[in-house]
Amino acid sequence: MQRENGKYLYLIPALVFLGIFTYFPIVRGTIFAFQDYKLYNMSNIRFNGLENFKAIFTDPNFSFVQIIFNTAIWIFVSLFFQFMLGFVLALLMWKPFKGRGIYSGLVFYPWALSGFAIGLIWAWMFNGQFGLINDVLLKLHLIESNIGFLSDPKFAMISVIIINVWYGIPFFAIMILAALQSVPKELMDAAEIDGASPWKRLFSIIIPYIQPTIVSTTLLRVMWIMNFPEIIYATTGGGPSNATNILSTQMINKILKFYDYGQGSALGVIIMVILFTYAIFYLRLTSQGEENFG
Amino acid sequence: MKKIIFKVLKVVLLALFLIAAIVPLYWVIVTSLKGNKEIYSYPIKYFPESPTLENYVYLFEVSNFGVYFRNSALVALVGSMGALLISTFSGYAISRLRKKRTKLLLILAMYFTQMIPTYMVMVPLFTMFASIGKTDNLLSLSLVYINMMIAFSTIMGKSFFDRIPVALEEAAMIDGCTPVQVISKVIIPLALPGISAIFSFSFINIWNELFLAVMLLSSESKMTIPVALNSFISKAGISWGVLSAGIVVALLPTIIVFAFAQRYIIMGLTEGAVKE
Repeated sequence: MQRENGKYLYLIPALVFLGIFTYFPIVRGTIFAFQDYKLYNMSNIRFNGLENFKAIFTDPNFSFVQIIFNTAIWIFVSLFFQFMLGFVLALLMWKPFKGRGIYSGLVFYPWALSGFAIGLIWAWMFNGQFGLINDVLLKLHLIESNIGFLSDPKFAMISVIIINVWYGIPFFAIMILAALQSVPKELMDAAEIDGASPWKRLFSIIIPYIQPTIVSTTLLRVMWIMNFPEIIYATTGGGPSNATNILSTQMINKILKFYDYGQGSALGVIIMVILFTYAIFYLRLTSQGEENFG
Repeated sequence: MKKIIFKVLKVVLLALFLIAAIVPLYWVIVTSLKGNKEIYSYPIKYFPESPTLENYVYLFEVSNFGVYFRNSALVALVGSMGALLISTFSGYAISRLRKKRTKLLLILAMYFTQMIPTYMVMVPLFTMFASIGKTDNLLSLSLVYINMMIAFSTIMGKSFFDRIPVALEEAAMIDGCTPVQVISKVIIPLALPGISAIFSFSFINIWNELFLAVMLLSSESKMTIPVALNSFISKAGISWGVLSAGIVVALLPTIIVFAFAQRYIIMGLTEGAVKE
């Protein structure tokens, strides 16, 4: 019994930290959401009921409907291509080949880079005047004149999603490659000898075997992509004219550009409500709660 | 015949993935080695014609990148060491807890904080430190970073400790080890791969963190590298050459850590870790 109590002692530092720097701030932030709290008007901080939420929903410059729509596009289009390309890459790397170790380092390294720095690099590559991508496309005669990838509302969302896909491929490739190790080799060999086509092998052996990984990683990734504002922050800042603004970038803009902590916090509350709803949905859907948490 | 086509296709696809992964890194390095004239010239040059280090010289002599680098290294090391120390204990404790409900509750509490993105709490953290006059302070930022990595490291640590049999500890106890000695002499050596994974994860995540640092740091001498890059883009007159050099300096440490710890990181990623 004494030893069991000793274990609780080990937990104290972690819980104290989380209490002070996560749980307490979440409560404070939720209170700010119902206050008129602007950095340039600090002498006049007061409760204002639902004013912040009302302002967010009716903002003429940043249509909330469009922000929600953008967020959905950002999440699902990015996720789809991250997953598909990551899957293909994992399949290609499944069978050992010479230099696979080095190869994996060279294709997986983007995972370790900062989203902000990646955004900056691609902003330069997408540059409308001196950008590498415009130049290559011109030389291949795929376009006739330079495109303002990040400044043209027609292209901005596609462009930031391309960056996000590039960034997310390694994650899925790593996860799926690891899951592929669980597919029995004998089964694959037998199927090949029996003349099962590659497609058949993919759909009736590989996918069923790695399905749990596919489901849990994609579902978790939804949350992660939703909360990943760095690329958009570094490239378009949510513009041009709200075209790439998602919930998280809007929250950061409200705080770092408009110094409106009340509205920023209100957006935080909205994001948290969405996250919770989604988390419950996730736990239900995977119904592995016990397994994961046991 | 079909087999050969498949093989060729495979090699072509592998090559395409490789090119796609490498080009952005190549381009930022090339840009950082070009002078202004070459950067803003047409047609675009795919190789620097007269490579120069002037952008790097600017970074470290005109701008204070040496200081930013030191600040970044400081918070990343303090943050990841701190998180590692704290979560080694908490991860071990949760792994060895026998009360099912308490255990589940603690794990859920960890997952919960893991779900909350860090920028969500940047305003309350700022006001909290402001009320005790400790904003613009690298120690404050380090504490925040320790906290940022605790939940993740605890979850990861737990899953590594789960695989070390309790019988080993009991044997050590019988041999007269104190509980702290059990951890330091028996558990940690066995969990070393996991610990390397946790440390590399924390280091990379903290080194890359932008928004909390922007919020909490204000004076020039305290800036970390991401904050400095952020101030570059709003500053007029910073060329893409200097910015690219800054990005290269920002990326280098994470690439090095990734190169050395790739095995452990991949292991950690696939170990049921939630965030990335």
